[in-house]
Amino acid sequence: MFALTMGIRYQHGLVIVICLIMCISCGQPQQAMRDGKPYILATTGMIADMLLHITGDSATVEALMAPGVDPHLYKASQGDLAKILKADYLFYNGLHLEGKLGSILEKQRRIKPVIAIADRLPGLIELDRNSYDPHIWFDVSLWKAATAHATAQLAKLDSGNAAYYRANGQAYMAQLDSLDAWVRMRINTLPEDRRVLVTAHDAFNYFGRAYGMEVKGLQGISTLAEFGLQDVSALVNYIVERQIPAVFVESSVSDRALKAVLAGVQERGGTVHIGGQLFSDAMGARGTPQGTYMGMVKHNVNTMVNALL
Amino acid sequence: MIIAFWIILTGALVAVTCGMLGCFLILRKMSMVGDAISHAVLPGIVIAFLLSGSRDTLPMLLGAGATGLIATFLIEYFHRRANLQTDASIGVTFTFLFAVGIILISGFAGEIDLDLDCVLYGEIAYVPIDLWVTADGTVMGPRPVYILSAVLLIVALFIKLGYKELQLTSFDPAFASALGISTALWHYLLMAAVSLTTVSSFESVGAILVIAFLIGPPATAYLMTHDLKQMLAITAVLGIFIAFTGYWLAYWLNASIAGCMAAVTGLCFTAAFLSLRRIPKPSPTASEEPIG
Repeated sequence: MFALTMGIRYQHGLVIVICLIMCISCGQPQQAMRDGKPYILATTGMIADMLLHITGDSATVEALMAPGVDPHLYKASQGDLAKILKADYLFYNGLHLEGKLGSILEKQRRIKPVIAIADRLPGLIELDRNSYDPHIWFDVSLWKAATAHATAQLAKLDSGNAAYYRANGQAYMAQLDSLDAWVRMRINTLPEDRRVLVTAHDAFNYFGRAYGMEVKGLQGISTLAEFGLQDVSALVNYIVERQIPAVFVESSVSDRALKAVLAGVQERGGTVHIGGQLFSDAMGARGTPQGTYMGMVKHNVNTMVNALL
Repeated sequence: MIIAFWIILTGALVAVTCGMLGCFLILRKMSMVGDAISHAVLPGIVIAFLLSGSRDTLPMLLGAGATGLIATFLIEYFHRRANLQTDASIGVTFTFLFAVGIILISGFAGEIDLDLDCVLYGEIAYVPIDLWVTADGTVMGPRPVYILSAVLLIVALFIKLGYKELQLTSFDPAFASALGISTALWHYLLMAAVSLTTVSSFESVGAILVIAFLIGPPATAYLMTHDLKQMLAITAVLGIFIAFTGYWLAYWLNASIAGCMAAVTGLCFTAAFLSLRRIPKPSPTASEEPIG
């Protein structure tokens, strides 16, 4: 009974407690920047990799999402929340790649520097009114534009190191230029009728546009809209007619859907095999070559070319 | 510490609001209405996206709120007019609405990532960073805490003002009608309150936690008492206790906060069930009708 009367009293007092809390929390002073190196938090591994190249040893850079995590499905844990609060600058992709987290980071902009690297890039692929494809990192020249944007922002934010950041950014952009040329060279070794990329979901639109590959995804960008029977049979017909030798699975997406297509093609007497695993929405494990942006792009292109040639 | 404080406060606000409404839902055998709303809002967000062309929180919330109301209205309507059992009425309504949503996505918005998880459902871990900042840059604290406090206030007022009517229409609709109380009106008012609460809570803390708080604490309280006022009080206290212990369990395990709070809810129910199994329930007091 004691607990009950306490409970009733607590219920009445709850409103007062909430009001008090709000009075205390109102008008908190903004968090002052700590001494020493800035702590920069990026959402995806690709962005963290880019920022590491720009900042070199003058900042601490960390990625919120672990390798292999699908950014569409990421949920923050207790520790991740502390990192977001601790960060001096936040970098994210934008264009709804991070879902709900993106719109919450957007609001942090009023309190600390928050930079969306993809939001205002030229040449975005529009999917519907005002909705753009977020997978910009597969067009290396677009990723270079994003690097230029991030470098300019960092130079503005941490003006003491501006010259250092700009030099690093220029060096990294030069590397990206040669990577872009290398990808183009590799894809051009494929006969033109073999330049077709069939994957589980639509992550490679930018890649296809930049390097002249036709891209066919079984599933749309949303993971909720399941592929329909017509989608499967249309794709099976396409593979059989065009005699496509290989389709590709993605590291962060289930291959169940593609298995259905493979079975359909074999029924029709065609031969198609799984050409390998591509990294789409997340990079490979840390410490491996695929754990960096450039290594991931090279792995993807080599996998495609080896399977389709 | 401030992180812990905001998350526990948010959890407690959702627990108390959902729990109080959940008490009435349990008595009406409609507990799963929260789960139904969590699926039924899909066509609402698709239509809101098609009309507004954006995936911002406000149009999503309006679309979800409108469909939530329609869903609860349909559930009540089928139950009253077609004499359908409440569980069948809930089942047919939400599967239909969810299916309409899926077809709308496939037909008109297949290219867009319109996942409920991405555009509507929040996450309680984001509450401390989901801040409300005024035009002059003053930080006013987490936005969900304001929204949920307002919802709690509305729901508490609704229950306080309509307590007699809600109690009578829940226990003895025939007697309520004889007294001139419109049972239909109070059913629809309760359902509107449930819809408002669940949709705004989904947006702040995600779906599972809302459903857990809507059913778990009232079900536990139902085992412990036959008195409606006591049931409401136990539910509120239990909800605050669960928010507190659930958070520290998540902290200790470095796990999902919503998951830990829902798990503690289940543990509380089990503990109450095991400890009360052999004790005969106290006889109802003279002023109260027996439950069930």
